Amino acid sequence: MKGKLEPSERQRLIEEGKNLKEGLATLEEDLLKLTDELQQEAQGIPNMTHPDVPIGGEDCSVIRKKVGSPPQFGFQIKDHLQLGKELDLFDFDAAAEVSGSKFYYLKNEAVMLEMGLINWTLSEVMKKGFIPLTTPEIVRSSVVEKCGFQPRGANTQVYSIEGSDQCLIGTAEIPVGGIHMDSILAESLLPLKYAAFSHCFRTEAGAAGAATRGLYRVHQFSKVEMFVLCRPEESDLYHEELIKIEEDLFSSLGLHYKTLDMASGDLGAPAYRKFDVEAWMPGLERFGEISSASNCTDYQSRRLGIRYRPSEPSSASPKKGKANLAPPRFVHTLNATACAVPRMIVCLLENYQQEDGSVTIPEPLRPFMGGLEIIAPKSR
Amino acid sequence: MGLQSCIGGTTLQTLKLASIPTLSSSRLVSRPVQLKALTLDFFLLSRHGRSRRSPFPLLARALSAPAIAFQTETPPEEKGNAVVKPQWKAAIDFKWIRENKEAVAVNIRNRNSNANLEAVIELYDKMSNLQKEVERLRGERNVVANKMKGKLEPSERQRLIEEGKNLKEGLATLEEDLLKLTDELQQEAQGIPNMTHPDVPIGGEDCSVIRKKVGSPPQFGFQIKDHLQLGKELDLFDFDAAAEVSGSKFYYLKNEAVMLEMGLINWTLSEVMKKGFIPLTTPEIVRSSVVEKCGFQPRGANTQVYSIEGSDQCLIGTAEIPVGGIHMDSILAESLLPLKYAAFSHCFRTEAGAAGAATRGLYRVHQFSKVEMFVLCRPEESDLYHEELIKIEEDLFSSLGLHYKTLDMASGDLGAPAYRKFDVEAWMPGLERFGEISSASNCTDYQSRRLGIRYRPSEPSSASPKKGKANLAPPRFVHTLNATACAVPRMIVCLLENYQQEDGSVTIPEPLRPFMGGLEIIAPKSR
Repeated sequence: MKGKLEPSERQRLIEEGKNLKEGLATLEEDLLKLTDELQQEAQGIPNMTHPDVPIGGEDCSVIRKKVGSPPQFGFQIKDHLQLGKELDLFDFDAAAEVSGSKFYYLKNEAVMLEMGLINWTLSEVMKKGFIPLTTPEIVRSSVVEKCGFQPRGANTQVYSIEGSDQCLIGTAEIPVGGIHMDSILAESLLPLKYAAFSHCFRTEAGAAGAATRGLYRVHQFSKVEMFVLCRPEESDLYHEELIKIEEDLFSSLGLHYKTLDMASGDLGAPAYRKFDVEAWMPGLERFGEISSASNCTDYQSRRLGIRYRPSEPSSASPKKGKANLAPPRFVHTLNATACAVPRMIVCLLENYQQEDGSVTIPEPLRPFMGGLEIIAPKSR
Repeated sequence: MGLQSCIGGTTLQTLKLASIPTLSSSRLVSRPVQLKALTLDFFLLSRHGRSRRSPFPLLARALSAPAIAFQTETPPEEKGNAVVKPQWKAAIDFKWIRENKEAVAVNIRNRNSNANLEAVIELYDKMSNLQKEVERLRGERNVVANKMKGKLEPSERQRLIEEGKNLKEGLATLEEDLLKLTDELQQEAQGIPNMTHPDVPIGGEDCSVIRKKVGSPPQFGFQIKDHLQLGKELDLFDFDAAAEVSGSKFYYLKNEAVMLEMGLINWTLSEVMKKGFIPLTTPEIVRSSVVEKCGFQPRGANTQVYSIEGSDQCLIGTAEIPVGGIHMDSILAESLLPLKYAAFSHCFRTEAGAAGAATRGLYRVHQFSKVEMFVLCRPEESDLYHEELIKIEEDLFSSLGLHYKTLDMASGDLGAPAYRKFDVEAWMPGLERFGEISSASNCTDYQSRRLGIRYRPSEPSSASPKKGKANLAPPRFVHTLNATACAVPRMIVCLLENYQQEDGSVTIPEPLRPFMGGLEIIAPKSR
C-alpha cells in the first residue's frame, strides 16, 4: 500500500487488509487462550527423575546411609512433651487459647536451645561458603506457584493474607528462589549458595492424629534452609554436597539417623531426586523426618525465569560482539534443610534425657547457649 | 558480587554467633547465663491456679469464645441471620465511670478520643434498669413455679400456668433486649481510653516532655552516608529483590547484617534475662479477639493488622499480643507476681497510611524482629515497674553508645491502652533527626480487664482463727506493662549510621562482639 496504486487496486488491498486484521485478531485471541490452557496442563507435569531413584511408593525408598544407634536407657524414658512439661520448656495450652491447636510458646532453656541451634547452624554453613540471609515471610502468591507449590489448592499448606495476593511462606526456599527471578546471572557468580533463616508457616490441613502431637507437626517454626543455584552439570555434585553438610551437622549433634533416597512416588513435582534424613526419636519410638535435600534441576528455574550466561570460550576471538555470546541457559536449583528447630528440639530432648529428668546439651551447641551444659528441673 | 566468604577474613573460621569475651584458644564461648534467673520458682501455680468461672453471672457469653465456634466459616450472607455474633466482654467498671464522669470526660478530651461518654452512661443506666426488671420477672416466675408444686384447684393451676407462660415469654423478650443492650454498651464503652497519669503533659505530640538526654551526636570529619547507602555498599540488604518477591517495605538481610540481627537479639535476651525476665518465643498467628483485647483494632480502616484469609486469625504486630494472651481468663496467685517476660518474635504491620521519604529503607517495614518485655504486676507496683522498664531500655541503649532522648509522651499521643508512655528516640545521623527506637507503656488494668487477667491477693498475715473461702480476698485485676527491648531494623539503622567510618566500614559496638563471633568491623568486600 506504500507504493503508487490504481484507486481500484488500492481499494481491493484495503479490503484485504481489513479482513486479514480481523482474522488475525480472532486467531491471536485463540492463541492466547490456547497458550494459557497449555500452561495450565503442562505446569502439572512433574520434573524428570534421576536414573538411580528407586521406582515405587514410600516403602520403596532406599537407605543410603545409617549413622549411630538408638541410645540405651536404663530407666523409663519420657517423650518430648512430658520432658517439656516437667522442665517448663513449652506451653501448648495457652497457645491453643490464643492461637489454636498446633501453636506453642517456647520458654526458658528451650528459647536458648532455639537460638543456639540457629546460631550454630548458620555459623557452620557459613564456614562452607553459604551466604547468610533473612527473608520476607510474606510473598506474592505467584512466587509460591513458581516454586512448585499450590497456594490455593484444596488442602493447601499455604496461609493466604486476606485482601491481597500475598501468602505466608512455608519455607525460605520460596523467597530465596525469588531473589533472582527473571534474571540472567553471570556464570562467574555460580554456584550461588544461600543459607536463609526464617520462620515458616504451614496450615497442615489434612494432617491429624497422635503422630502429630507436640512439636512434631506445628503451624509455625524456625528453620535454616540452604539454597543453591548452579550450572546444570554440577547439580548432582551439589546435591551430594548438601546431604553431606546435613549429615555432618546431625552427626556433630550425636544423633542416630538414616538417610533415604526417596522413591519416585514420594518425590513431589519439583524434585529430580530427594534425600530425606530421619532421626531416631526415642519418645515417639520411631524415626522422624528432620530434613530433606532436593535437586530440582531446572523445574523451578524455568518457572522463576532464572538463567545464566555461559562465559565466552577462552580462545580469543577476533570478532567481539553479541554474536559471540553463548545463549543463556536455565540454572539448576537445590534446597536442603540445615535445621528445622522443633524437630531438632524433639530429638535433643528425647535422646539426651537423663534419669533425673534433666537433659544434657550436646557439646557443639554449648558455646551458643552461654555455656549451658544441662537443662535441669527447676527447684520448686 | 564476590563469592568468597563475604564475612571478613579469619573471623569466618572461628565464627560463633554467641560468645564470651574470655578466650582460651581462638574459640569464643558465651558469657554464662545467670542460671539463677532460670530457676524460676514462681511457676508453682501455673495452670492449676487458673479459674475459668466468669465473675459476671449476668454476662450471657464466655469472655472468650470457644475454639470450635471459629473453625467453621460463616459465609457473609448467613451472618445477618445468626443471633448476635459471639463477642467477648471487657470487665469495665461502669459504676466507677459513672461516679467519676467528669474526670473521664476530661481525659477523653485530652486524648482526642472519639469515645461517647454520654452514650455509655445512658446505655449503662438503661441496662441496669433492664437487669432489675429481668431479675424481678425471674423472681415472679420462681414464685409461680413454687406455687405449682403444691396442691391446687384445677382453675387455680390453669391460671398459674397462663401466668407462667406470660412471664416466660415476657422474660425471653427482655433477656434478648438485655443481650443487645449489653453488646451495645460494650461497643461504646470499649472505646473509652485508659485514664492518664497525673504527670503526663496535656496536649498534642509537641507537648511531650524530655525526661532524659544521653550522649551527643557523633562528629564526623567526612561526608556521611545514610543506612541505605551503607547497606548497599557493604552488601547488607536487598530491597529490590524483596519488592519483586513480596512488595515494597520488605527486605532481605545479608551477610553481616544477619549476624547483626542475631547478635542484637541474643545480646538483648541475655541482658534482660539477667534482670529476671523469662525468655519466650511466641505464636505469630493469633485469634483476632486477642488482638482486640490488647487494645488494637484488627478490622478498622487503616488497620495495622494483617488478617489470614478464611479464618478469624491475624498476624501479630508485636509480641505484646500473644504474651498478653498467655494468662487470659485466669486468676494468678499473688506470689507469682510480678511476672516478667522477654519475648522474641517477628512482627508484621501493614503500615497502611504511612508513606514518604521518612519511611525509606529499614525505618518503616512490614516485617521485623523484636524483643519485647511484658510485665504483669500488682496495681500498686505498676509505676515502679514502668520506671524499671525504661531504665532497662536506657541501659541497653547507653551500652551501645547511642545518643538518645527519653520522652514522656503527651496525652494526645498516648493511644487508648496506655496510662503513661515513655518513648526513646535515638539520633540517626543519616536521617538527620531522632527516630523512635522503643516505647514503654504502663497499661494499668486496661488490657487485663479485656483479657480477664486477675490475681488473688494473699490472705492477711495476721493469723485468722477461721479459715475458709470467706477469708479469701476477692480477685483484683493485674496491671500490665510492655516495653521494646530491641526493635532490630531501627537498631540496625542506628548502628550503621552512627558507627560508620571514613573508609566506608562500620564498627561493631563492644557489647555485641561476643554475640557476633568476635566480629569487630563490617568492612567493604573486595571485588
